[in-house]
Amino acid sequence: MNDLTRPRVIGQRTPRIDGEFKLTGRAGYTGELHAEGMLYGYPVPATIAHGKLEALELDEAQAMPGVVDIFHHGNFDTLHRSPNSMGHGDQVSEVRLPFEDETIHYHGQYVALVVAKTFEQARAAAYRVVARYRQASGAVPSLLGRDDEGLPIESEGSSRGDPEAAFSGAPVKIDRTYHIAAESHLQMEMHATLAEWHDGGRRLVVHESTQGVVYQRNAMARIFDLAQEDLEVISHYIGSGFGNKLFMWPHAVATAVAARRLQRPVKVVLPRQQDMMSGGNRPASRQHIRLGAGRDGRLTSVIHDSITETSLVDRYIDSCGSATPSFYACDNLAVSQRILPVNHGTPCPMRAPGEVSGIFALETAMDELAVELKMDPVELRLRNYAESDPESGLPWSSKQLDKCLQSAAERFGWDKRNPEVGSMRDGDEIIGYGMASCTWFAGRQPCQARVELRADGSLFVGCGTQDIGTGTYTIVAQTAAELTGMPLADIEVKLGESGLPSGPLSGGSMATASTLPAVAAAVRDALDALKEVATGNGGAFEGLSADDLEVGQGGLSHGEHRVSFAEVLKTNKLASVNGQGSTAPGAEQNAYSFRSFGAHFVEVRFDPGISRVRVARVVSSMDIGRAINPPAARNQVEGGIIMGIGMGLFEQLEYDPRDARLINSNVADYILPTHADAPEIDVELLDYPDFEFNEFGARGVGEIGLTGVAPAISNALYHATGKRHRDLPITIEALLASS
Amino acid sequence: MMDDSAHSPRPSDETVRLDFTLNGEPRTIEVAPNAVLLDVLREQLGLGGTKKGCDHGQCGACTVHVDGLAMNSCLRLAIMCQGQQVTTIEGLAKDGQLHPVQQSFLECDAYQCGYCTPGQMMSATALLADDRIGADDASVKEAMSGNICRCGAYKNILEAIQQARVQLGHDATTPRKEDVA
Amino acid sequence: MRAFAYSRADSVDHAAHRITHDAAFVAGGTTLLDLIKLDVLKPKNVVDINALPLKRVERLDDGRLRIGALVTNTDLAHHPEVKRHYPLLSQALLAGASTQLRNMATTAGNVMQRTRCPYYRDAAAACNRREPGSGCDARGGLNRLNAVLGGSDACVAVHPSDMCVAMAAIGATLTLSSADGEREVAFGDFHRLPGDTPHIEHDLADGELITAITLEPPLAPAGSYYLKLRDRASYEFALASAAAQLSLDGEMIGEARVALGGVGTKPWRCPDAEAALVGQPAQIATFERAAEIALRDATPLEHNAFKIPLARQSIVRALREATRLARDEGKQEGQV
Repeated sequence: MNDLTRPRVIGQRTPRIDGEFKLTGRAGYTGELHAEGMLYGYPVPATIAHGKLEALELDEAQAMPGVVDIFHHGNFDTLHRSPNSMGHGDQVSEVRLPFEDETIHYHGQYVALVVAKTFEQARAAAYRVVARYRQASGAVPSLLGRDDEGLPIESEGSSRGDPEAAFSGAPVKIDRTYHIAAESHLQMEMHATLAEWHDGGRRLVVHESTQGVVYQRNAMARIFDLAQEDLEVISHYIGSGFGNKLFMWPHAVATAVAARRLQRPVKVVLPRQQDMMSGGNRPASRQHIRLGAGRDGRLTSVIHDSITETSLVDRYIDSCGSATPSFYACDNLAVSQRILPVNHGTPCPMRAPGEVSGIFALETAMDELAVELKMDPVELRLRNYAESDPESGLPWSSKQLDKCLQSAAERFGWDKRNPEVGSMRDGDEIIGYGMASCTWFAGRQPCQARVELRADGSLFVGCGTQDIGTGTYTIVAQTAAELTGMPLADIEVKLGESGLPSGPLSGGSMATASTLPAVAAAVRDALDALKEVATGNGGAFEGLSADDLEVGQGGLSHGEHRVSFAEVLKTNKLASVNGQGSTAPGAEQNAYSFRSFGAHFVEVRFDPGISRVRVARVVSSMDIGRAINPPAARNQVEGGIIMGIGMGLFEQLEYDPRDARLINSNVADYILPTHADAPEIDVELLDYPDFEFNEFGARGVGEIGLTGVAPAISNALYHATGKRHRDLPITIEALLASS
Repeated sequence: MMDDSAHSPRPSDETVRLDFTLNGEPRTIEVAPNAVLLDVLREQLGLGGTKKGCDHGQCGACTVHVDGLAMNSCLRLAIMCQGQQVTTIEGLAKDGQLHPVQQSFLECDAYQCGYCTPGQMMSATALLADDRIGADDASVKEAMSGNICRCGAYKNILEAIQQARVQLGHDATTPRKEDVA
Repeated sequence: MRAFAYSRADSVDHAAHRITHDAAFVAGGTTLLDLIKLDVLKPKNVVDINALPLKRVERLDDGRLRIGALVTNTDLAHHPEVKRHYPLLSQALLAGASTQLRNMATTAGNVMQRTRCPYYRDAAAACNRREPGSGCDARGGLNRLNAVLGGSDACVAVHPSDMCVAMAAIGATLTLSSADGEREVAFGDFHRLPGDTPHIEHDLADGELITAITLEPPLAPAGSYYLKLRDRASYEFALASAAAQLSLDGEMIGEARVALGGVGTKPWRCPDAEAALVGQPAQIATFERAAEIALRDATPLEHNAFKIPLARQSIVRALREATRLARDEGKQEGQV
């Protein structure tokens, strides 16, 4: 039963255990929660991006019906900034506290929080707050369209060999610059906080739509100078995050202060416009790639220099080159990273942060090299296949990229591709085939979990991680079911509470690999405790040793004698036995390199007569180790492909070049893929469990589907039109130039 | 019928009376004149299944049925529903049994975070009852395009809708019924 | 969203009496509530006109089609008369917005739709249309979505409707009602060019409401096509769209109607392009010449020059498709 190499539940199609709650509207997301006596907060955003708040005129707003109070720089509590340490688990998205001073660093920065009895009243009064600003000159609207050098970030660099010399001596060279516009996470549920103080202001309970309850708890404890036990952060259902809910934003602090001062629960749901202005973004990037290769296609030099945006109030680093050193076998390589402060809300990780941008540049450059060499792009990738990790020198724990390339190419029909540009036509449309490899690192975080085996026949698992839509509730239940033989219906999973044993962030594709080992350890610990009970005085198997007992079908057995867990407990008049699990990455980290890999093959159809491109078909193969719940894992990749179509063709935050104001902070003008944009998608998950990484063999799947999609689209468009697109998104204006 | 006192704006803490049918039950409530149906459902009536994703008719998360038609509840004053039948996601399951659309969403894993999902299902149920909308995949995708899913579960949502169509007794392959007289 | 008073009108007369400069009618609510929430529109009174008896579509004796102001976009798009005789209008309606919005939005509300210019929709930006005399942030700003036809120094905002583009091509008359009775305005005269007074968007006086729109009799036998070009495949306003309708006389074009959307400050009928089509062979070279003429006076801004070739492409393709359909129609007529 403890052997996970031949599982019965793990790896099986399992409908989500939280599905019925989500499908009937009973799942309580933060924004729809209520508390007795709750008030509503509505933030007032700055309407300039750079300057000073000179005056706030509040009289009219204060006199509006239902208004209870208005919080701002002049009356806000004095708090501590969070130490903002990843290592100590108190990182925040924006370290500056709300209303800290009167300097305006970005459009949408909060200048006040109106609190009223109803939502309508709070919003109506927020519109009557008059803010007077002195706009400063010199706002930096974007990295794009500028040639600033920015600040070097040495920690993100990498080098080996002599890349400059190798590049200058290379028989074939690619030397190109790529730009990607800033993107919005645009998670469907906006940031939301419901803060409630208890025990006369000594204890704080915060409901937050967050990917990290423990991180927010830790940060708020420092900010409000509370013991961690006096603070609970709860997030049972999250309308996704894609990274912008990893770390806390200032609205949560403002909400908690309002609740403390008013001695009433306060709820703030950011309006979409504010969510997009001040709730995180993927920063724009400019990347310079130089590839040197021999005529045989073997890379002799890879030089990847990137610069990304940060804000004026934080140093966010979107490390574009982090996958590059491990991507291809090449002895000479240099990767560098710089950042440029701009007048935006602080950027933050967004799905496959850094690497997705870097892979766009690298995999487009590789396609350019293939064209230059007149070589099939799949063949070029196989010629430079890294059999071990060229960055660390370590062997891969498991790498099946070659199988991904072969399988996806075959299912796609790559052999029918005529490499000549524009040669494949269907009526008005030119068909383009393109491909790209993709990768995402496999990481693990420390994790703890708690299990109760109960006399009522149920099993409880608790862990302070979250389910952001990836299906964590279900895979935790699968794990408990696997190890106990209990039916899923008897397993209760509780996640999303900081009071539970400390769990990982739901981010970086790390939650599965981090959480399940801890859950398994806790289940085994509980089973050990149960066996001790069963074999002890008055126990159902008194006199036997724990090693004599088998676990299965929700019971213990010895030969033909089988007793259910519940009966074992009842025999000893016990309500439950408990188990704890605590796991962390171990020595394997020094023995192997861990990465997931994959390949996307894309068919685009370009109609030059009307400058229209549509992605018609995507065929992908992913090497992610084992999928715990295959439909949910495949869903992640399919969703990544949709997001990749957005990144490739539609998505860009647009900042006014004159004053850095964000002008498309809404779901209509920020263009997302719709149902009608969804192509035919065929995703295959290879099944090569990575048991070097953890006993489940799972590496995680949240990010990888997005990586490689945009370059595959761009490469397919080149095949259709002969025009190389190096800037994202590839807009209709760029396409017009190729018709 | 005309209320002349309305010539001067009421202070916003005053309310007006709304009689309507909500998920099959007659209801009479007091609402602010500027209260939007979505906010009344979520904040006043405790029906949080209808979601707010943009508040401007740009995402579809707030989709409900008004007299059987899918509408964005974020762009409709609550008081405009006087005398109308409003159905929300909470009214879709009957007698504890999931609606076939809900059941097929569950089976097809037609969601991830679940936040846009009630809106997707309200649009899907309205679509399946509307013979003016074609049954082929392209017509369904076009008709569903007012419901954004940022998790990108579009493939599974389409599959779930077509599976529910079969369960509801419509043939997914039937060409659209022309309503030309 | 500011507070306002709400009332219902149960007759056109009552409604007309109620409407003043600080009041707004609400029918579908899709534009009004959107803009009230953005603090762009600030009515003190909102008058609900959904109870008015303006929901009929009827064929008049003279062959025209009279559409009640409150007929929803969905009902109009699927109405048998519209599908049969005005497929152009049906296509345009279904190209607009989403299923949900079309279920809510009304015919008159669509005519009264406001621009999507981001600076109009941002209450903190300078916009002569929203706040006369404040300036135009779009001219020197991010104006990808703005107009290349019909703009002025004061305003370059696009009229965003698809339905209106089809109506401009078909030809229609608006019926406006007030306490003083009814008057009729040609569709092409209703929306105003911005000139120096972009805040005056249309020919509707205080105390007036649109009660009906009457379409000209259909061209027959004819083919028509509405082509909408945009970034994504659905649920987005047009970057350029073309409504084309033509009848054939053998291989020659008999009558032709062309209108553009997404590029003009009002629904943009192209009479010169039409004149260049009539009597000419129905072939690509003719369509391309018409497209050149239609965009002859277009003036690009910094970020929207692409709309000029894109609009030309939309015209050429829409005319090509309309011709194909006209030929099909002709064959069917011949068979009858």
